[in-house]
Amino acid sequence: MNNSKKQLENLKEKIDHLQHNKEKKSVPKRNSGAGFGFKISTEIVAALIVGVGIGLLVDNYFNTKPFGLIIFFVLGAFAGFLNVYRVMRRIEKQKNF
Amino acid sequence: MSSSGEKHSPLEQFEIVPYFHIDSKGIDISFTNSSLAMTITVAIITLFLTFSVNTRSIVPSRLQLLSELSYNFIVQLLKDTVGKEGRKYFPFVFTIFMFVLIGNMVGMIPYSFTFTSHIIVTFALAAIVFIGVTVLGFLKHGLRFFSFFVIPGLPWYMLPLLIPIEVISYLSRPISLSVRLFANMLAGHTLLKVFAGFVVSLGLAGFLPLAFIVALTGLEILIAFLQAYVFAILTCLYINDALHLH
Repeated sequence: MNNSKKQLENLKEKIDHLQHNKEKKSVPKRNSGAGFGFKISTEIVAALIVGVGIGLLVDNYFNTKPFGLIIFFVLGAFAGFLNVYRVMRRIEKQKNF
Repeated sequence: MSSSGEKHSPLEQFEIVPYFHIDSKGIDISFTNSSLAMTITVAIITLFLTFSVNTRSIVPSRLQLLSELSYNFIVQLLKDTVGKEGRKYFPFVFTIFMFVLIGNMVGMIPYSFTFTSHIIVTFALAAIVFIGVTVLGFLKHGLRFFSFFVIPGLPWYMLPLLIPIEVISYLSRPISLSVRLFANMLAGHTLLKVFAGFVVSLGLAGFLPLAFIVALTGLEILIAFLQAYVFAILTCLYINDALHLH
């Protein structure tokens, strides 16, 4: 009787020890810098591609060379910043969990 | 390109080689090595998922555990990002996740072909997601979907400036989605082949790049999984945006 109690306590200690170790290990791992930079740069480039594309289409359609390109290039750049802001906000939110 | 001396380019692996020439009204729909890789991918997914859960044992075998794990992974992802109503879109997200994941993994086998390293393939996938999500938004909200582009609580004189920015930001989604997957796979596989070329040209010291390739292959497998995960989580986020405007 006494022996089995002792065994149980031993087991409890073991489980506690293992759980403690596990908690220690699950420290948030750091993202690699290159992957992070890549994520950000694709967002900006994608928005710029769309902006320039729309600008060129507008110029072709309304014969307003080069103003459509200029305006939509700037808008595309802002959209790129907006994308980056949203990505950053999402990453920050994930960190807080 | 075609001279025999240049047959060892690191970019040669991305060449499309048609096996059967099929021509349909002037459009080339030949069965190529890319199509073969996709067929193999779909066959692997189908066989794996059907055979692994065939026994339906309560104490799962390793294979069954693997397929249950992938199922739970996407279910949890949908629950975290979309919520309870996201369960309806599970088949869509799961299909895309498995297709990209197994496609990347098939590409890691030597002498096989990585179809995700072609932008037209990833762009088609991203376009399916983009069009599907847009249609979903219109079905759910009707014309109120356009209010997605209006940030609430903004003074009216800012709207003419900010609505085009929001629209461009929305339209850039499929491009950033496809470019990210495509560029990661292209860069990784090119790097592998470049270092493999060093092994031969360095002679005895070639064991250094060889050891590096071993490490790089592990990293590539990690990236293959990570990119499939990113593709799936972004699909979930876009579905969430379409369901709950703002």
